[in-house]
Amino acid sequence: MTSRTVLIGLDGATFSVMTPLMERGTMPFLKSFVEGGVQATLRSVVPALTPPAWTSLMTGKRPGEHGVFDFFQKESPDSLYLKFASSDDVRSATIWSLASDQGKSVIALNFPLMFPPPAINGYVVPGGWMPWRQMRLGCYPPGLFDRLKTLPSFNPRELALDMKLEEKALEGCEQDEYADWIRLHIRREGRWLEILRYLMNEDPADLVALMFDGVDKLQHLCWRFIDPELRPADPTPWEQEVIDLCDEYFAQLDGIIREIVEMAGADATVVIASDHGFGPSRDVFFVNTWLEQLGYLAWSSENEVPEETQPRLGISQISRHVYQLDWERTVAYGATPSSSGINIVLPKTGDGQVQQAYSRIRDEIVAALKDLRNPVTGEPVIKSVYTQDEVFAGPFEALGPDITFEMHQGAASILRGDEPIKVRDEVAGVHRPEGILLASGHGVRAGVSIEERSIPDVGPLLLALLGASIPDDVSGRMPLEIFDETHRGQFESSLRFHPATPPPELAGAPTEFDEEAEATMAKRLRALGYIE
Amino acid sequence: MGTSDPRVFDAVVETLGELARDWEYGEPVTPETTLFEDLGFESLDLVVLGTSLQEKYGRLPFTEFLTEIGERNADDISVGELAEFISMHARTSVTGDPR
Repeated sequence: MTSRTVLIGLDGATFSVMTPLMERGTMPFLKSFVEGGVQATLRSVVPALTPPAWTSLMTGKRPGEHGVFDFFQKESPDSLYLKFASSDDVRSATIWSLASDQGKSVIALNFPLMFPPPAINGYVVPGGWMPWRQMRLGCYPPGLFDRLKTLPSFNPRELALDMKLEEKALEGCEQDEYADWIRLHIRREGRWLEILRYLMNEDPADLVALMFDGVDKLQHLCWRFIDPELRPADPTPWEQEVIDLCDEYFAQLDGIIREIVEMAGADATVVIASDHGFGPSRDVFFVNTWLEQLGYLAWSSENEVPEETQPRLGISQISRHVYQLDWERTVAYGATPSSSGINIVLPKTGDGQVQQAYSRIRDEIVAALKDLRNPVTGEPVIKSVYTQDEVFAGPFEALGPDITFEMHQGAASILRGDEPIKVRDEVAGVHRPEGILLASGHGVRAGVSIEERSIPDVGPLLLALLGASIPDDVSGRMPLEIFDETHRGQFESSLRFHPATPPPELAGAPTEFDEEAEATMAKRLRALGYIE
Repeated sequence: MGTSDPRVFDAVVETLGELARDWEYGEPVTPETTLFEDLGFESLDLVVLGTSLQEKYGRLPFTEFLTEIGERNADDISVGELAEFISMHARTSVTGDPR
């Protein structure tokens, strides 16, 4: 099959929200799209987070195989320093590069990990944490930014994310700020559509992909007004305004999806996917405070770190651990709130006392996480715990956290809390692993729900729909069951695979510690009683 | 640490001047121009700009640079300070020649 292939990304979209929106008549086009196509729950990766999850879709691989774990990355496996995750950290071929290499043209708009922009056969306007001031540097090919500036509604300030506003959305904001913030996202999605409209008119592509992240943003801040089970039965005027604006956002999104599908043409196959799902959250887990109470972490006395009394996550505090922690007395710490990860400051491999202590400390923390209870409700706080080798197996696993946890209904904070667990006054939305997959087009079954699929399955599907060959090292499996019986065999027989390019060597692979470093670690562990 | 390369210094100032035309900043960008106060940077702007500059000048100890700024609670950083840092650490000169 070689017809046009369209990917519409809906960051954070989940059936528990989208299905009621379709049933209530807020998203009539999406309802007809689902009725004419296939739907499935799309399971995200661990962690269920925008950068690793979209990268898994783009590569057909899992984080340990493509190298992206978070918004920020360890500089090397043993480094305390974090760097902004960029396209350089995607250590695998992507659907953009694979399609380009096989002569297909591509339009890729608003996807994360696209800066610096890859040189593809087509157009890139990056998304994710791309500040508007740098948007010129992120557009590809050179000169695209100046072309876009001629569009009537082009406004890079509103096209890109404003980090101050995003932080508010995640940490909570004043009531009188909600309306403007939702309206901004309504305008923003329209601005992205205008860019797509322009590029499709000027130079239509074989693979057309546009991601909308307002779904994620609204659900973080406004979950209690979006989740049908939590919407206030008797809303105040302010609550009603927020509810109406959220509905307006989704109604507009429905119209945007309709226009993209119509623009793509009757022969196109359209895939709609989210990187993760969403659900309610009240708990905030101050992971570093908890580690401090267990004796694995100490705050620096030289840099007085204030105790946080509010349930804040610490979005703006990333990287401060480098100087806020006492490294003589710290063996484990959480570096970012987004990763839900814990790093252990000890070598993982080897057979010395220090390495044995690594395993012991890791296993102790894993066990303690499983036992952690909400002090108010007595309910378990942590749903699942994974060690690095369990969940990130692959050439880049050493860049992932040593321990990753999923919470039942909460979010992690890296701040120094006055207690390990706090409860938010209002329910907020947080990521859940269960996202959505929808598909419609020639040969695709109509009105069918198929069994759950995984996000790495989508990359191979898109390549196959383009008629492009698939690297033989992808983890994703082709969801052949989306096609009707007539086309399934035809599609399967047309699948082509090619030998993958070996992944690059991991720079700064786990350090062989010198005697001095080993002695420092031994001193640290002796103080904690792990070695004699 | 290497020695400061005046060509790199001038190129960084020039690059920021070109970018600032998109930012509705009416004044000329000089080494004294401050990133946060004058140009309205947020911390992520500096991080992303660092990624872009490393594309051009090779791997820089940019994370350490940012952490050091945070540690000393610096209110701002000037274009000249940024350019000086890059010109001290750049592996390639402005002409693209390895140093």
